Amino acid sequence: MEQQLKVDFENYVKTSKLSSKNIELKRVNFNHFLEKGFPNKRDENWKFSDLNHIISKNIKKLSFYNDFLKSEQVDESIFINNLEHNKLVFVNGKLEKKEFNHEENNKVEIIEDFNLLNEKININSLTSLNNAFTDKHYNLVVKKNYTLKKPLVIYNITNEDVTSKNLNLRFNILLEENSSLKIIDFLDDKSKNNFLNTYYKYEIKKNSILKNYKIDRKFNSNIKYFYNNINQETNSLSEIFILSLGSYFIKNEINCSLNGKYASAFINGIISLKNFQHHEIKTNINHLAESTKSYQLIKSVLDNESKAVFQGKIFADSKAQKTDGYQLSKAILLSNNTEFNAKPELEIYADDVKCSHGSASGNLNENSIFYLMTRGLNYQEAKNLLINGFLLDVIEKITDSEIKKIIKNIMGFKE
Amino acid sequence: MLKIKNLKANINKKLILDGFNLEIKPGEIHAIMGPNGSGKSTLSNILSGKKGYEISGQITFENQNLFDLEVEERAHKGIFLAFQYPLEIPGVNTNIFLKTSVNAIRKAKGETELDAIEFLKLVKKKANELKFDQEKLSRQLNVGFSGGEKKKNEILQMSILDPKLCILDETDSGLDIDALKIVANGVNALRKKNNAFLIITHYQRLLNYIKPDFVHVLMNGKLIKSGGPGLALELEKKGYENLN
Repeated sequence: MEQQLKVDFENYVKTSKLSSKNIELKRVNFNHFLEKGFPNKRDENWKFSDLNHIISKNIKKLSFYNDFLKSEQVDESIFINNLEHNKLVFVNGKLEKKEFNHEENNKVEIIEDFNLLNEKININSLTSLNNAFTDKHYNLVVKKNYTLKKPLVIYNITNEDVTSKNLNLRFNILLEENSSLKIIDFLDDKSKNNFLNTYYKYEIKKNSILKNYKIDRKFNSNIKYFYNNINQETNSLSEIFILSLGSYFIKNEINCSLNGKYASAFINGIISLKNFQHHEIKTNINHLAESTKSYQLIKSVLDNESKAVFQGKIFADSKAQKTDGYQLSKAILLSNNTEFNAKPELEIYADDVKCSHGSASGNLNENSIFYLMTRGLNYQEAKNLLINGFLLDVIEKITDSEIKKIIKNIMGFKE
Repeated sequence: MLKIKNLKANINKKLILDGFNLEIKPGEIHAIMGPNGSGKSTLSNILSGKKGYEISGQITFENQNLFDLEVEERAHKGIFLAFQYPLEIPGVNTNIFLKTSVNAIRKAKGETELDAIEFLKLVKKKANELKFDQEKLSRQLNVGFSGGEKKKNEILQMSILDPKLCILDETDSGLDIDALKIVANGVNALRKKNNAFLIITHYQRLLNYIKPDFVHVLMNGKLIKSGGPGLALELEKKGYENLN
């Protein structure tokens, strides 16, 4: 792989129109990745998901260079129905469609930024890989006092034209003061055996609200990593909902810093796996100011040979008095060959805080199944009703009723 | 309708029912009384199809071997068990559960499924009859219900599903006197020529409101005495130990 990496990187440098300063920055990132490689289980953060092993087992001859010369057809049939929305459509890592028909002029900007920001390289090797190979950043700015009228759906689509590729995407999203944005990350894959590495950086300024729904619904053999770095100022709010159903492997990592008083973060997620997939949600909530609040509820339902991981950390700085942190993870294991790993962590340096965490996993209650069957439901119907009931309270946390409905539909829940 | 012949049941190698015989005809109400541990709940569990018992003997329901039927098929054929301890099912909306249940049974019978409006009409009528707070039906099944509300919910399900054989497993336990009357009225309203009731209870109290045709005493896994309604009163006076 090392040889391929070097060849692809030099190829990339040769064809890009970047300044020499930018290329130098990319080279620093590239070398960092070259040195570290894909994370493996010796890394604490990755101890339940050995990405190096997963990639080498499932992707033969991974390559990193994309020329992005060819435009791809956008398969509009996968667009979300019954929801008016703005669109950014990426096909195989390339932006093919940009539509902000519902918004006022100059209130939302999307800038393709060819200049790399000068930022720390040592978050992890995958963000370095991302920095090394992204040809541009997509910077989205919501202007002061503006609330988007409709949600923005970022379609991240792959088709049969790519295989054994590493595709990197990078977004910098800025919500200026008193602004509000809803984003749906909607993944759809027809491709096989690729590694998608997506990096989101969010800046949520004073009094602003971000709602982000991450939907990975369709079974596919791709391997995905989403790194979300969120910084929140005073009185801002973030609501993240993760629906993790489809990909062979997906890890959603959220690093959220509550830097201003009264900032709050809500992270809710469902991992529901029917095959041999392996999904992880990793959160790191940093309470860095007084009276900040975080709430996390993650539920998993695992069948066959699937595996899920939840690693959640709440950190309360000594300055962060009156922190309110809550975290709960529950899992139902439907077969003996499934595996669920949870690692809840609290690290608290302030003395006036309210923090709790809990984790439980187990089987479906056979007595409950029996009760439902005596009312005429067959075994499968009884099981489904119980599973849906188990997952429903996570979905009920979604505060946007239209999007809640869409997610219920995807899950096959009846109203 | 129901014929039980020489039923023996073991659980974990412990003999619970030891040669139990009973026949119930359409239109009849049978009461089975017995002390703790006599096998009353085992009987209702076996009739509704709960797994985990080693069973011998014969049970037929409308001339069909009951052991050939799965739990849900027994429900489809018209056997209903009102649970002693109705389960709390978090996340499952009571109305959605009821509709799923009604329609599963209608479908199995070859009847058309009820749409939302027909269903709500039916539920509203039945809930009013039982003085069951309709607001509770939009909540999670039995979650946060009081003991009495759970039992009423069982009777509500029974009256909506309109079964042929209703088995009430200690439905009276945990009910105050007003709730007991409402439940009894609900049961009496369901009485028809072509259905039957098997009422399992510790106490004679419920039988003041639901008049049984037959009373049986279950001890150590078999019926030791059968008679008319008078037997229940005799039991109440003498207790199980002094019964001859």
